Amino acid sequence: MHTATTAAPGAAARTGTRTTRVIGVLALATTAFVVVSAFFLTPADSVQGDSVRIMYVHVPTAWVAYLAFITTAVASGFSLARRHRTLGFDRVAGASGEVGVLFMAMTLLTGSLWGRLTWGTFWQWDPRLTTTLFLFVTYVGYLAVRRIDTDPRQRARRSAVIALLAVLEIPLVHFSVVLWRSLHQEASVLSPDGDVRLDDLMLFTLFAGVAAFTLIFAWLVIHRQRLTALADIRQTVGLDAAIALRRSETRGVVK
Amino acid sequence: MFPTMQSPGSDLAMDLSPREVPDAPRAQRRWLPIAFAVFAGVAGLAIVGIFLTSSIDYFCNVDEVGVREGCNDDERVRVQGSVDEGSLRLQAGTTSFVMSFNGASLPVVYDGEPGGVFQECIPVVAHGRVVDGTLMATRIEVKHSNEYEAENADRLEQSESAACS
Repeated sequence: MHTATTAAPGAAARTGTRTTRVIGVLALATTAFVVVSAFFLTPADSVQGDSVRIMYVHVPTAWVAYLAFITTAVASGFSLARRHRTLGFDRVAGASGEVGVLFMAMTLLTGSLWGRLTWGTFWQWDPRLTTTLFLFVTYVGYLAVRRIDTDPRQRARRSAVIALLAVLEIPLVHFSVVLWRSLHQEASVLSPDGDVRLDDLMLFTLFAGVAAFTLIFAWLVIHRQRLTALADIRQTVGLDAAIALRRSETRGVVK
Repeated sequence: MFPTMQSPGSDLAMDLSPREVPDAPRAQRRWLPIAFAVFAGVAGLAIVGIFLTSSIDYFCNVDEVGVREGCNDDERVRVQGSVDEGSLRLQAGTTSFVMSFNGASLPVVYDGEPGGVFQECIPVVAHGRVVDGTLMATRIEVKHSNEYEAENADRLEQSESAACS
């Protein structure tokens, strides 16, 4: 690995592969379909009118944020179990956590805009919004803990424990509208009674949105964890070079 | 130059003495993430301790006002009910309507025009105090359903009649 980065820096700096390029193209195509369908093909809602079109971004970003945090927890579990062998799972956990926070921020932003158009307010401290914000803040804290300057293995252990605890918030967020009285509506898909309460094309576009954002998530996580791996290699190579330099200096002094 | 340390029996000596680091805001770099982590922890506790505890059961239903604990009619309440058909009046910047739930009704007066998709036959949450049997609202929020249907005249009529029945 060191040889690759030092011998061919240009080649080593690339994080793309054929697989990521395929994922990227699929993500672009699916996103293009979602944009066209959301704006031009799907009907306006009988009550909400055109503001319902925010749903095609809001719901997929929320689901992908959940997926990202679950991925972080699973990778953290493997990281704890295999911590003496590799930091790869820790890098995946960190990358997925970063992308999850990004998508959760988009969920909060689009939800706030949608709330203004339908509820008449940008924000209320109702159970769904409050627990979602709590989830977001938890993962911001997780990322902050990952940034604390410490031994990489200690960082991996510490952040893995946080990730495994934080993921338990997701059921609380998802079922908050069922457990408590909330201004936020209950789920239209995957509701407890199993009914789907969406017009057919709306539902199809929503699923396409979930697919598009999942592909974007996969693309981002793969690239991000490879970038982190390259940064780690660079740091290691830098350390090796510094030690070699000081050895050569010392040889000069001794002589 | 710093003095050097040499391993016994080795011709390879290493200088392990401390050096001046030119770009030394290391302490700052160490504390910034810790500060963020502490901030996130405090913010999380505040969200749970203050906002989540007050938002569990975000509203009282109309039939619970003055009956259920936490829904006392002599204090500020958030009341949920459906806007009765034909009860909505907009006069001189004041909105008045009757909201109902589970057979109970409550007149509401709001100084302003509600935002969002406010209309008759739709569930709303009104914030305010009950004065002489009328909720003097300071905020109105629309609590729309989780059903999404294409906008057309037939379905709109069905939706409205279903919501008001």
